[in-house]
Amino acid sequence: MLTAHMPGAKEQPQEDDLLRKRKPTKPDTSVAAEEHPVSPSSSAESTIPSALDKDDSKTLSKTPVDDDDKYAPRKLKSAVAVATSAAPTAEADTNISLGVLVTLTILALGVRLFQISNPSQVGDCLDTPAFDRYSGGQTPEWVVFDEVHFGGFASKYINGTFFMDVHPPLGKLMIAASGLAAGFDGVFDFKEIGKDYIAPRVPYVSMRLLPGILGVLVVPMSYLTMKNLGAANATAVMTALFVAFENALTCQSRLILLDSILVFFTALSVQMWTHFQSVKNRPFTLQWWMSLALCGAGIGLAASVKWVGLFVIAWVGLSTVKYLWDLLGNPRVSSMVYIKHFMALATCLIGIPVVIYMLSFQIHFMMLPKIGSGTGFMSPEFQSTLQGNELTETFAEIAYGADIMIRHENTQGGYIHSHKHFYPTGSKQQQITLYPYADANSIIHILPALEFVNKTAVEPQVVEFKQIKHGDVVRLEHGPTKMKVHSHDHRAPVSDAKGNFEVSGYGAPGFLGDSNDHWRVEILDHDPENPYLFALQKFRLIHQNTGCALFSHAVKLPEWGFGQQEVLCSQNGKKQLSTWRIDFNENPLQPETSKKVGYPKPSFLSKFIESHKVMWRINSGLDGVHPYQSRPLSWPVLSRGISFWSAKAGTAKMHLMGNPLVWAAAGAALGLYVLLEAIAAVLSKRQMTYVAGVFADTTRGAGLLFMGWVLHYAPFFLMSRQLFLHHYLPSLYFSILLFGVLFDGITRRILGGSSILQWIAASLGAAACIAVFVSFSPLTYGLPMSKEHCQGLKWRKEWDWDCK
Amino acid sequence: MDYHNQDSGAPGGLRKRQQQIGKNTGSILDMLPGDMDPLLLSDEKHKASGVRGASSGPAGKYNTGLLPNGNLQWGIILTLTFAALFTRLYKISWANFVVWDEAHFGKFAGHYLKRTFYFDVHPPLGKMINGLAGFVGGFNGTFEFESGHTYPPELHYPVMRIANALFGAGMVPLAYLTGIQLHLSVPAATLLATMVLCDVALTCISRFILLDSMLLFFTATSVFCLCRFRNLQISAPFSEDWWIWIFATGISLGAVASVKWVGLFAIALVGLHTIQELWDMLGDLKMPPARYARHWMARIAALIVTPIAVYILSFAIHFAVLNRSGPGDAQMSSLFQAGLKGNDFDQNPLELAYGSRVSLKNNGHGGGLLHSHVQRYPTGSEQQQVTCYHHKDSNNHWVITKAWGKENATSPDGVDFVQDGDVLRLVHASTGRNLHSHPVKAPITTAQNEVSCYGNATIGDANDLWKVEIVDDLFDKKTKRVKSLTTRFRLRHNLSGCLLRSHAVSLPQWGFKQAEVVCQKKGDPDSRNHMWNIEQHMHDILPPGGKGAYRSKFSKDFIDLNVAMWTSNNALTPDPDKEPDQLTSAPYQWPLMLVGLRMCGWGDDAIKYWLIGNPVVWWGSTASLGVFLLIVGAYAVRSRRRYRDWDVPGSWDDFVFVGQLGFVGWALHYLPFWVMGRVTYLHHYFPALYFAIITFAFVADHIGSKLPRLLHLGLIMALGVLVVANFIYFKDFAWGFNTPAEGYRARKWVQNWNLVD
Repeated sequence: MLTAHMPGAKEQPQEDDLLRKRKPTKPDTSVAAEEHPVSPSSSAESTIPSALDKDDSKTLSKTPVDDDDKYAPRKLKSAVAVATSAAPTAEADTNISLGVLVTLTILALGVRLFQISNPSQVGDCLDTPAFDRYSGGQTPEWVVFDEVHFGGFASKYINGTFFMDVHPPLGKLMIAASGLAAGFDGVFDFKEIGKDYIAPRVPYVSMRLLPGILGVLVVPMSYLTMKNLGAANATAVMTALFVAFENALTCQSRLILLDSILVFFTALSVQMWTHFQSVKNRPFTLQWWMSLALCGAGIGLAASVKWVGLFVIAWVGLSTVKYLWDLLGNPRVSSMVYIKHFMALATCLIGIPVVIYMLSFQIHFMMLPKIGSGTGFMSPEFQSTLQGNELTETFAEIAYGADIMIRHENTQGGYIHSHKHFYPTGSKQQQITLYPYADANSIIHILPALEFVNKTAVEPQVVEFKQIKHGDVVRLEHGPTKMKVHSHDHRAPVSDAKGNFEVSGYGAPGFLGDSNDHWRVEILDHDPENPYLFALQKFRLIHQNTGCALFSHAVKLPEWGFGQQEVLCSQNGKKQLSTWRIDFNENPLQPETSKKVGYPKPSFLSKFIESHKVMWRINSGLDGVHPYQSRPLSWPVLSRGISFWSAKAGTAKMHLMGNPLVWAAAGAALGLYVLLEAIAAVLSKRQMTYVAGVFADTTRGAGLLFMGWVLHYAPFFLMSRQLFLHHYLPSLYFSILLFGVLFDGITRRILGGSSILQWIAASLGAAACIAVFVSFSPLTYGLPMSKEHCQGLKWRKEWDWDCK
Repeated sequence: MDYHNQDSGAPGGLRKRQQQIGKNTGSILDMLPGDMDPLLLSDEKHKASGVRGASSGPAGKYNTGLLPNGNLQWGIILTLTFAALFTRLYKISWANFVVWDEAHFGKFAGHYLKRTFYFDVHPPLGKMINGLAGFVGGFNGTFEFESGHTYPPELHYPVMRIANALFGAGMVPLAYLTGIQLHLSVPAATLLATMVLCDVALTCISRFILLDSMLLFFTATSVFCLCRFRNLQISAPFSEDWWIWIFATGISLGAVASVKWVGLFAIALVGLHTIQELWDMLGDLKMPPARYARHWMARIAALIVTPIAVYILSFAIHFAVLNRSGPGDAQMSSLFQAGLKGNDFDQNPLELAYGSRVSLKNNGHGGGLLHSHVQRYPTGSEQQQVTCYHHKDSNNHWVITKAWGKENATSPDGVDFVQDGDVLRLVHASTGRNLHSHPVKAPITTAQNEVSCYGNATIGDANDLWKVEIVDDLFDKKTKRVKSLTTRFRLRHNLSGCLLRSHAVSLPQWGFKQAEVVCQKKGDPDSRNHMWNIEQHMHDILPPGGKGAYRSKFSKDFIDLNVAMWTSNNALTPDPDKEPDQLTSAPYQWPLMLVGLRMCGWGDDAIKYWLIGNPVVWWGSTASLGVFLLIVGAYAVRSRRRYRDWDVPGSWDDFVFVGQLGFVGWALHYLPFWVMGRVTYLHHYFPALYFAIITFAFVADHIGSKLPRLLHLGLIMALGVLVVANFIYFKDFAWGFNTPAEGYRARKWVQNWNLVD
C-alpha cells in the first residue's frame, strides 16, 4: 500500500495545483478520497487504507489555520511522511498502555500529594500568637496566600451569605463542596494569612485535596493527549513526566486555589478535542459524539472556574472553524450532512458550555440566599432577593412633608447623607455625602420652595397631602440637623473641575435659607398624563439657580469625609450619574389607602447579567500593587516566582517557582516551532515541497498546541490589571505538550524511527527533569533545606527568595 | 477588475458582446472598459491561443500608462476638476470670521510668520503649508485667530482657505485616476470621483484653514501612487517609471504622516501590501536571488527610508523657521530653549556654584519649573506650597545655599562650585524659605512625602538638606560639577533618602492647578520625573557661558518633541463623568453618519456650516463594506465547493488587491479609533471614508459586471445621479447658509442630527 503511494506523492502536488486553479469541475474521486477521508458513508471508510487514515489525522491536526496556498505542500508532506517515516513503529505506539497510565497516575499522586496532610509549613505572619504557640517544633497549619479568598468563599457558601468575586462560581463551589463533605461548618473565616487551621478544626487537608487530585489527573491527561496527537509512547511518557515534575503546577495544586482546577479542565478539554480530531473520520459514531460532548463540557467547566477558560473556548472555536472549512472542501459531504455536522458541533461546543456556565451561576445564587459582604455591590433590585435585606415596601405617592431616603442610581454609594461635620475647603459648610446604609442621617424631609413676600422669605405651610410632580421646585431638609441641601458658587471638594459646584448643608436656627436651596424635580421619561413622582421612579434634581444637577460618582472623600462618596452639583455631568430614586417614603399625611411599592424581583437572567457587569468592573479595578505581581513578558522566561510563605526560623519556605528545565524546554520548543514553521513556509513557497514536507511533518500536531499557547498568553498583554505568574500555567501546559510533540518529531527523524533510541532519549530528558524537580522541591513543598542548598538554587540573580 | 473577461465563462458571452460592440461604436456603452481597452482584440486572440497567450493579456492591461487612450478620458478629468474647483471654492470667502479649528491652525500659521516657537500635537508639514499660504496672503502673524472673531482687512484669509481648497479639489481627479489604475470601468471610476466630489463633508472640510484637506489629499496621492506602482510592478519592474512611482509612493507617505499621525495608517497599508508582494515574489522560482534582493533594497530605500526622511525634514524646517522663543518653549528641554532668540540662557554661567540663583526644570514629559508661592497647603503640614509650573516668573528662583553650619566654609577664591554628592539647601528667592520635606502625606499622592517651604535664613532643620546626585551631562560625561542646562541631576532628601519628584498630577484649585511636587520614597532613580536640570542661572561673579556653550542636538530635539506630542495626544481624554459635548463623537457613530457637527455659532442670521456627509455616499459605502465581505465569503465557499469563478490569470489577484486596498485601508484608518483613549471627532473618519468610497465603487462595478451591459451602466449612473442629487440637496451645509436652521428641518433625516434642536 505504502509503496503504491510513493509515486502518488510526486504527482499529487500537480493534481493539487490543478485543483487550486479550479480546472476540473468534477473532481476525480480517487483524489478526493485521498484528500478528504472525512466521509459520512461507512463504505468509503472501508475503502480507505488505514495508513491514509493516519496520514490524514496527521495533516488535519497539523495547523489550525491553513490557507489555500499552503494546502498543496502540506498534503504532499504528509504523503512523504507516510512513505519515509517508520510507519510500523508508529503504529505500535498508537496503543495506549493502561499500565503506563496507571503508573503515571500513581507517580503523580506521590508528587502532588506528598505530605499534603502535614506539610511543615511555617507561616510568615510572624506576630500571630499561633506562631509563638507552635514554634516549639510542631508544624502548624495556616491560611496561605490566596486561601484567604477561596477558603473564605467556601465558608460563605456554607453559611449562605452573599459575596461578590471576580471569578465565576464553579471552582469555589467545588472547594466549598469538598469542605462540606469533610464536615467543615463554615465558622472559620479565613480572614488573614497565617490564621491557624488546627484549633478551629478546619478540614483544610480535604479542601486542599480537591485541587491536589485534579492536579494529579492532569498527568495521565497529558499522556492521553500526546497519544491523540500521534506521539510515540516514549515521548508521551516523557511529556507526562514533565507535567508531573513541574514545580509550579505542583505547588499551585497543593493549596486552596482555583488555578489547579482551571488547568485540569483546560487539560480535559485539550484531551477531548485532540481525541475528537483523531476520530473525526468516523463521524457520528459513539466515540465521536462522546469526545465532542465531553470537550464541550470541559470548556464549559473551565470557563465556569475562571474567565481564562474563555481562551480554551476560543481555541476550540478556531479549530472548529478550520474543521468546518475542511469539511466544506470535501465534495462527498452533501449539504444535509454538512448541516448535521454543523448542528452537532454547535450543540456540543456552544450549547453544552453555555448550559454549564449558566447552571453554575444558578447554583451560586441558590447557595447564597442571605445578605453578606457582597450585597453592597449590587443594585437594590438584586439586594431585594436576599434574605435579611432592609428594603421594605414603601408608600408610592410622594408628597410634601414626607420623610424620604434618596438613593443614587448607577453607583453603589447609597443614600444622600449628612452629618455634623464640615467641609475643610470651599464654603466650610456642613458635608453632604453618599452613605450606603439607611440610617437616621439619611432621612431627608422634602419641603416646598420658599415663598418670597416683599423679598422676605416665608416658609410655606404643608397642611394637606399634596403630591410632588414633574417640574416642582422643592427643598430637601436633612432630618436630624435641619440643614437644607444647598449649592452655590464654590467648587466641589475633590472633583473641583469647572462646572462642578459644591453641595452643602446650609441653614441656621431662625434663618429660613435662600433660593440656593431650591431644586427642580425632573422625572425621567415622565408621563404628561400622570406627572406625579412615585417611589422607585427615576428622577433628577436640578439646581434652580445655576441649572446644575445633583450628582455623585465613584469618588471618595478624604479622611475628613470618612471616605464617603462625594456629592456635587454638575453642569454637564453624565445623566446616569445624576439620577436618583426614592425607596423610603413616610408621611404623616399619607392617606391610608396609599399603595405600597417595593423593588421588583429580578429574573435569573437579569441577576446573571448584573453579576457579570459587577465582576467586570471589579476585575478592571484590580489595579493595586502587589510585591510579587508581574507582567506577561516575564513569565515564559521565569524571571521571578511568588513567595507563598516562609518560616521565620529556618529556611523552610513555600515559593511558587517553575521547574527551570521544563520552562526552558517549553520556551525552546516555542522558538523552535516558529523557526521550523517559518523555514517550512519559505521552502514550500520556493516549491521545495519535499524538504518542506519533512519540516512540516516534524512539527505535525504542534500548530494546534502553539495556537493554544498563544491564545492563553497573548491576551494578558492587553490586561492592565494586576497579574501573577500563575496566570501563565494554562499556557505553560500547552507549551510543555508542544515540547513533547517537537521532541517526538525530531527524535523520530534523527533516530530513524528506532523506538529503543527514542526511549533512551526520552528517559534522559525525564531523568534530568526529575533531578531538577527534586532539587527545587523544598521550595515547592515548604521543606527545610540547608542554606547552601537554598543559595545554590538561585540560578538567576532575579530569583529572590530569602536564604537566611 | 477585468470586466470583459469576467463574462467569458458564460458560453459565448464574450463573442456575442464583441458583435454588439461592433454595432454600437460611438454610443455611451463605449465607456465600459471592454471597449475602451485597446487590448480587447488581442485579448480575444489570447483566448484562442490558450493559456500562455492569456497570461500576457493582463500584463498588457497593467501596462496602460497613466490613462487609457482617448479624448473622452481627458474630457472626464477636466470636467471633474472644474466641478471640484467650483464646489470647493464657491463662496469660500463668505464667512469673514474665524470658523471652528481655524482658531488653531490659523494661529499656528501665524507662529511661522512670527517665527515664534509653539507646541502642538500634530507634525508640522500641513501647518507650514498654511503658514506659506498666509505669507502669500499678506498675513504678518499679528492676528490671534480667536474663534469667531472677524478677520482684519489686511489679512487675506481667502488665500489661506483657497490653498486648503486646492488640496481638497485635487482629490477628485486623483480619485478618478486611481479608479483607472484599479481597472475599474470608466463609469465606475467616474462614479468614484463623483462620490469624492459630491460628498458634503469632504467639500466642507476642504474650505477652511485646517489640516484635513492636506491629509486627505496626501492619502489619495499615496493610494494612487501605490496602484500605479503595482501595475508597473506587474508589467515593467525596474523600469524608469517603476522607480519614479515607487519613490513617489514613499514621498507621498512621508507627506501624509508629516501632516497628521493618522497618515501612519496609510504607511501601514502600503507596508502590508509590500510584505505580501515580497512574499509572493519569494515563490517566483524564476527570479534570480540578486533581483529579489534588489526588490528588497528598492523598497527599503523608497518605502522606509524616504518617508522617514520626509518626516524628519519637515521637523528640520520647523525648527529652522521657529527660531524665536514662544509659547511652546516649556514643552522642550532647557537646552533647546537656550538656542531660541529672545531668552537669555546664554547669559548663564557655565557651572553651578554656591550663591547661584537658579530655576530648576523637571525632566519628566512636559515637566515644569520648581515653584513656590506664599499660599499654604490646606492639608498636611499647612506649610508653604511647592509646585511645578510652566510660567516663568521670579517665584521659580532658588538660591543655592550651603548646608546648615557650613555657611562660612568658603574656598579662598570666593567661588565654591557645587560638586556631585554635595549636601545643600535650596532657598526660595522671593520668600526666603528653605525647600523642605518631612514624613507628612503629600496632598494628592498620599503614599509619598510632602514637599514644602519652611523656615528662613536662621530657622531650619536637617529636613532642609538635599543631596545633589549627578545623572549625566550631555557634553561632558565625567563631570563632577553641575552645568547649566546640560547636566541632569537628582535631588535626594538627605534625611529620608526620598527623591524630589514632579509628575502630571494637578493640585486642586487651592494650588492653582499647578503640578504636584512630592518626595518619592524608594524612587526609581532612572525615572525622568526624578531628574532636574538648571534652566536659568545667575551668579554675581561667574562669567556668562556664551551662546556656543549651549547647543542642542537636532536628534534629541526631534525625539523630545515627538514624545511630547505623543504624551499630549494621549492626554486628550474625555472625562468619564461628563456628558460628552456636542463637538465630540464616538467611532461607532461615523459609518452610519449618526452625527453632524456644528462648525460655528448657530444664530439665526449667522453664517453657519454644518459638517455632515452625503447620505448616499456614507451609507452606501458602509453597506458596500459588508457586501464586499459577503462577496468574498461567497467566492470562498464556492471555490471550496470547486466552482470555477476566476479563469483568467490575474483576475483573482486584481479582485484581492482592490478589495484589500479598500477594505483593509478602511479598517486600518477606522478601527484604531476604537482603542484610542483620546476624544474623537467626526472628521477623524474622513480618511477611512475615502477607502470606503473606493470599496463602494469597486463593489458596484463588480456586481454590475455580472449584469447585462446596459444594466451595468444603468446601475452606476443611477448611483451617480443619487449622489449628485443628494449633494445638491445638502450643499448649503458645506457652502454656508445664513437663514434660520429651522428652515432645513426637512433635512434632519436622523433623530440625533443636531441641525435643529
